[in-house]
Amino acid sequence: MQYRHVQTIDGQGALRGIAVDAHGHGELYAACDAEIKVFDAAGRLARRWPTARPAQSVAVAGDGAVWAGELGQIEVFDDSGKLRDTWRDAGLLRRVTAIGFTRDSVLAGDSADRAIRRFDRRGRFLNDIGKDNPLGGLLIPNGVVDFGVDAEDTVYAANPGKHRVERYAPGGELLGHIGRFDGIDPAGFTGCCNPTNVAIRDAIYTTEKAGPRVKAYDFSGGLLAVIATDPFDANCKNMSIAVDSRHRVYVVDTVKLAILVFERVSA
Amino acid sequence: MSGLPKTGRALAAILALLVLALGAVPSAPGQAMPYQRPVDTAPQQDAIGGGYRTPAVQKPLPRDYWLQVLDVALLAAAMGLSVWLVLKRRSRKWLVAIAIGSLAYFGFYRQGCICPIGSLQNVVVAIADPRYSIPMVVTATFALPLAVALFFGRAFCGGVCALGAIQELVVLRPIQVPRRLDRALGLLKYAYLGLAILFAVRPALARDFLICRFDPFVGFFRRTGAPNMLLLGGAFLVAGMFVGRPYCRYLCPYGGLLAWCARLARRGVTITPDKELDCGLCAGACPYGAIEEMRAVGRNCLYCARCYSWCPRDGELARAKAELVRLKGAAPS
Amino acid sequence: MSDDPTRRDLFAAVARGTVLAVLGGGAIFLVRKANGQVVWQVDASRCINSRLGEVGVEACNLCTTECVVALSAVRAVNEYSQCGRCNICPAYFNIASAVNGLGQPSEKLCPRDAIARRPIGKVDPEDPANNFYEYVIDEEKCDGCGKCVMQCKEPLGLGSITLRVRYDRCLNCNRCSISTACPQKALMQLPVSRALEPVGIERPE
Repeated sequence: MQYRHVQTIDGQGALRGIAVDAHGHGELYAACDAEIKVFDAAGRLARRWPTARPAQSVAVAGDGAVWAGELGQIEVFDDSGKLRDTWRDAGLLRRVTAIGFTRDSVLAGDSADRAIRRFDRRGRFLNDIGKDNPLGGLLIPNGVVDFGVDAEDTVYAANPGKHRVERYAPGGELLGHIGRFDGIDPAGFTGCCNPTNVAIRDAIYTTEKAGPRVKAYDFSGGLLAVIATDPFDANCKNMSIAVDSRHRVYVVDTVKLAILVFERVSA
Repeated sequence: MSGLPKTGRALAAILALLVLALGAVPSAPGQAMPYQRPVDTAPQQDAIGGGYRTPAVQKPLPRDYWLQVLDVALLAAAMGLSVWLVLKRRSRKWLVAIAIGSLAYFGFYRQGCICPIGSLQNVVVAIADPRYSIPMVVTATFALPLAVALFFGRAFCGGVCALGAIQELVVLRPIQVPRRLDRALGLLKYAYLGLAILFAVRPALARDFLICRFDPFVGFFRRTGAPNMLLLGGAFLVAGMFVGRPYCRYLCPYGGLLAWCARLARRGVTITPDKELDCGLCAGACPYGAIEEMRAVGRNCLYCARCYSWCPRDGELARAKAELVRLKGAAPS
Repeated sequence: MSDDPTRRDLFAAVARGTVLAVLGGGAIFLVRKANGQVVWQVDASRCINSRLGEVGVEACNLCTTECVVALSAVRAVNEYSQCGRCNICPAYFNIASAVNGLGQPSEKLCPRDAIARRPIGKVDPEDPANNFYEYVIDEEKCDGCGKCVMQCKEPLGLGSITLRVRYDRCLNCNRCSISTACPQKALMQLPVSRALEPVGIERPE
């Protein structure tokens, strides 16, 4: 598969996590230092609203609600920025760097504890994902937990210290993993801790640092495409990634503070 | 010899003015910038578990302060001993022992650093740059040999200076350098002194410590160095076998300062007119041109005590002869 | 002697006294300025091996070649509390080398083999990827060439390894010859206590 760099969206300030909107309108939500920004399909800043605490990540639920992962809490906004709910937990939500949804639960990645927390829709804690191993959590020297959820509610969590994307059941059971270390073969993950971020749509999309790369894998672990390497600043780290329903790939350049957009040009 | 104290004072005053004038040159500060990395994500020992304790990073400390003070004390003691040995005991062999000891300690053990010769640069920088911190030990290292020279002559040069000692020990068949040439070459050390001061008072990042950089013997003391400097050092030593202590007499900038102070000394190495025999053995023995017309020239005298060891009247030779006479029971001659 | 010896002696005595006074006064002036020993140290935010930026550049080894001490007084020092304890450490392994049967790079990076690696914590003997590893640099073997420092640098690593001057080896020259040669002007003189501080790290909110 081949991809083409089609657009660069100026982040107009800090950028952390990004997410695509739920209805395929091409809008892009970005968590920034103290606010949520929404960019329209043309890349213009459509609206923005402040968050109570520094926002680390953002996700859009099926009903259009905007979930912002912050330090010590999650805030839930409606599409226009009105605050609907706040989930505060100093112990379980110390630093929420990724949010995802299964059919019946909400998942939040806590990088301070190196685990993914699972809550029901009302905010009641159900179980941890990723902690049931001798290392006591995911191996994240790079400092962020990132994951994606597929249509069957399988959680794909990046485990950069092991150079893998691990598959978990929502209950926490480890189902398998894809990926391996390789400093030469582009199908492998290079460096000390890669992949740093992952997104799931029709394939597994990963970003790596130090030799910044965006790649796509099929669900059995075979490399489908190296989407991009060149447009990124060499010092990028923890580049958040989102993929929309039209297979457009959005990746944050953490140095230039811009969102790079790639489109598939061939199958 | 008339008018020398005046000349000495005048030259000292000019030098002081020069240094103070150059002190007006501003110097750039050396600031360390704080180094900050974005996020602390390294696993700590409780996250690693299994009873693991994060080891402490080793932080080796520089040499203890009291050892540096000891060095200064040893410097003072060695000079005091040299003064006593040369002026009172008139014993060359013990002076050579001190020279070997100084070479071993200040030279090979301390690797020639810090030395009074180089310390003059630090003193100059400290006067010129208000932000420069000079340790007290360095100030003492600079001042002590000069203070001793003011009263007793260049006792430092005799057996205490490591660079001097290494040259002193290779003197083999020294020639007498013609006086005019000796005087002319002797001016080189003042030129070097001026250059050293000029380069030392530059702003911090452009500062160059010439005396340290062009020290010909430090490569031997460290047992490693640039090949060309080691070669230069070797050349000085080879030359030193035939021309007594060329670095000390013609190049040492601190020797220039010591020479000025030694002019004012009253109790240096002297050849007393009422006792001397006019035999000329001392003049022939002195490899450094420090005896002119049967009188010791304080500013050139490097305290080697060869004159005393050759004198038939005084010193070891004379004492040995007297002892022999006493043993054999003959009347003293 | 045509001069009166007492007058000449008097001149000499006055001159001696003057010089002694200048020396003494100068010494007191300098002693009052003295504020402790100053040593040379590498500024990690300027050294190209450890500062942010310059990814994929050849490591600078001027600290090794320029130091007057035989095997350099500069060493790579790993600040253990800031080390990621990763399985595949890019400072230990040469990550551009081929992967062996264990899934690790086959070659080590250090030309003098100065880094020792051992698993720590709850050790899983089956799967090497399942462990934390400790990396210790042997200062007898290290010569400060900076290769590991360049690989440990962000974003590839966490930057816990930096080049530091070691004071049991450094002669504390008046003008450090590395400082003359360093193109980044990364060698500076600091008071001993500041020179021994760990390389700084900013904590998140």
